[in-house]
Amino acid sequence: MNDPKTGDILIHWEETMKKLLKLTSAVALGAVLGTAAVAQELYAPNLAYRTGPFAATGIPLMNGQADYLNMLNARDGGIGGIKINSEECETGYSTEKGVECYEKTKAKAIVTQPWSTGITLQVLPKTNVDEIPILAPGYGFSPMADGKVFQWAFNTPSGYWDAASMILQYLQGQGDLNGKKIAFLHLDHPYGKEPLPLLEKKAGEMGFELVPIPVGLKEMQNQSAQWLQIRRERPDYVVMWGWGAMNAGAITEAVKTKFPMENFIGVWWSGHDADVKIVGEAGKGYKSISWSFPNPDAPVMADIKKHVVDAGLTQSNEEEMSGVFYSRGIIISAILAEGIAAAQAEFGTAEINASQLRWGLENINMTEERIAELGLDGMVPPFSTSCSNHTGHSGGWMLEWDGSKFVKASDHLMPDTSDYAELIATKAGEYADANAPWPTNDACEG
Amino acid sequence: MYKYTIEPFQEMFAAPDFLLQVLWEGLVSGILYALIALGFVLIFRSSRIFNFAQGIMVVFAALTLVGLHAMGVPAWVSVVLTLVVMLILAITIERVVLRPLVGQPDIILFMATIGITLFLIGFGEIIFGGENKVMITEELGIPTDSFVLEPWGGLLILEQKDITAVAVAALLVAGLLLFLNKTRMGRAIRALGDDHQAALSVGISLQTIWVLVWFIAGIIALVTGIAWGARAGVSFALEVIAYKALPVLMLGGLESITGAIIGGLMIGMLEKLFEIYWGQPFLGGNTETWFAFVLALIVLLFRPQGLFGERIIERV
Repeated sequence: MNDPKTGDILIHWEETMKKLLKLTSAVALGAVLGTAAVAQELYAPNLAYRTGPFAATGIPLMNGQADYLNMLNARDGGIGGIKINSEECETGYSTEKGVECYEKTKAKAIVTQPWSTGITLQVLPKTNVDEIPILAPGYGFSPMADGKVFQWAFNTPSGYWDAASMILQYLQGQGDLNGKKIAFLHLDHPYGKEPLPLLEKKAGEMGFELVPIPVGLKEMQNQSAQWLQIRRERPDYVVMWGWGAMNAGAITEAVKTKFPMENFIGVWWSGHDADVKIVGEAGKGYKSISWSFPNPDAPVMADIKKHVVDAGLTQSNEEEMSGVFYSRGIIISAILAEGIAAAQAEFGTAEINASQLRWGLENINMTEERIAELGLDGMVPPFSTSCSNHTGHSGGWMLEWDGSKFVKASDHLMPDTSDYAELIATKAGEYADANAPWPTNDACEG
Repeated sequence: MYKYTIEPFQEMFAAPDFLLQVLWEGLVSGILYALIALGFVLIFRSSRIFNFAQGIMVVFAALTLVGLHAMGVPAWVSVVLTLVVMLILAITIERVVLRPLVGQPDIILFMATIGITLFLIGFGEIIFGGENKVMITEELGIPTDSFVLEPWGGLLILEQKDITAVAVAALLVAGLLLFLNKTRMGRAIRALGDDHQAALSVGISLQTIWVLVWFIAGIIALVTGIAWGARAGVSFALEVIAYKALPVLMLGGLESITGAIIGGLMIGMLEKLFEIYWGQPFLGGNTETWFAFVLALIVLLFRPQGLFGERIIERV
């Protein structure tokens, strides 16, 4: 009855009905209570995408995010005694809808979470004017690391150039890259092109040949042309910057063309369990760099079960909750929660505003001790941010598909940030010049 | 100039096994494009409606099949039940959406199919969720191994599920042509396509024909959904493949079944050849995104009705 591969549709339907009933009751109750008093809350909207071509990868992330904040609301009464309203605005991963969602939510928002590099690039200049921090964990424009230029943008805890640096380091560890050929299979979208400047720079320095291979949105599920090119080029490695259906499409083609899976590495958004489950055992050896890792035994998972799952507040299921993307959603909300807590402590008020949250996000100190205190053991590497460092450069682990799940295949890897510090400064400067007058944080001395 | 005109052909002859692989991949894509285009053509022929919902019907049919199987229904029973669902969908669309709009301008009916698309997206997501699901390829008895051949000492990989898809699609098309040409109902569909008023005047039931063509489009959607879903799973991302049928329709003509088939095969194979031998070496790749549209536009310049469409001459 319960096919783990496809999920139980009946249960899903039943759960949906129950949720609709609860929602209706909640709306009715809210309408009654709303007239009596307006509840205090911090409004942290999420520009989510549970629909459209990328929904399959969006859903577990959104569920992880929502469950963590719901758990804090239920267990601790929110953060610093004030509840978090993490209302979702559905974008379907469309840049136009994302911008609409931003405009719709910005009046009350203390943060915006755009959830796509395309949307991030569009709202980046707007947030500078509206003074709302962008929280884009592990995505967005890589030079956002430069907090002096991008005062309001955060791609904590790791950026795309960190990912590229760690992947190249890992590959170098497998044998000198000089004279090797790396195919860069990427979504033909701002996200997919993001690591190109660094990869091109490193190709020259390390002596490998880089072959960029774009995949159009309409070709995500039929990548035969791209994999024919890979067959013709005979690269030593394929590095993938894929998203949504592109990941499953690429992994299926890699299996079909018998490309050695151990030489196929994806960025963290290409490491979704459901994408590799489609090929199962045949995907054994496929790798993905990641700054998060699921730990079912972490105390936070028990708290989520107790306060969210058992209370019927989750939209997730057991299989999804054991995966990489759900746990990444948890970490993303934990980063936001740490920023809020830091700001509350600094400014002595629970009801912080967007500007104060920016300070909080610039002063996150996620040490091993703090990670354990939050119950996130083994789920995220330590990192800290500052006014000049909006990424944190946490590093990550190389994960490997063992036929049924991702396991850690490396120790904690750290990116060589000195390698591209100059590139970050140059690109950040170019962006500021192109968007002049662009206010920078000259007070920052970090 | 030499490298753009002569070298690609030299490369083809230098590695004929690779050329065969390119042509095979093009053929598989082409036949699947043709299938989607057929769904459009059938509905357009009989009702002058450009069915924007054909893409989401592919998703809906595939999700229903996978969903039913997940509930414990045996694979082939799920196929039958999915066909029942597609029939119910066809009847509902005819009753609720199309019948009240009879006689309205074509653009209204086109907008109505956009409404059907939006409804099916929302309804599908509520029932099935947006997660990627595994197509029940093996459960349906579709072989998943590959034939590895070595023509001219090279390498040619033929996936058995692709061979099955091509064979089933060919059978479906042959069956459809037989149905349209040799049966009473089939001739009624063609009659409606040729002349609406004349067909109605001889007693052909518009309602029955509409239900029938939408149901046939549903069958085509299911076959397409199984074939595409076997490649990279079943999710709402499948919907975008419907856009690949648009240049096929432009090329083959909106009313021609032969045009849909030949147009699909032409586009599938030509876009693959162009991408591999010209697009990737000289244009940075990903030419499949636009090649088919440019090809269709060039054809339209010389034959505005498409390669196989009927030339419409209106006298005023």
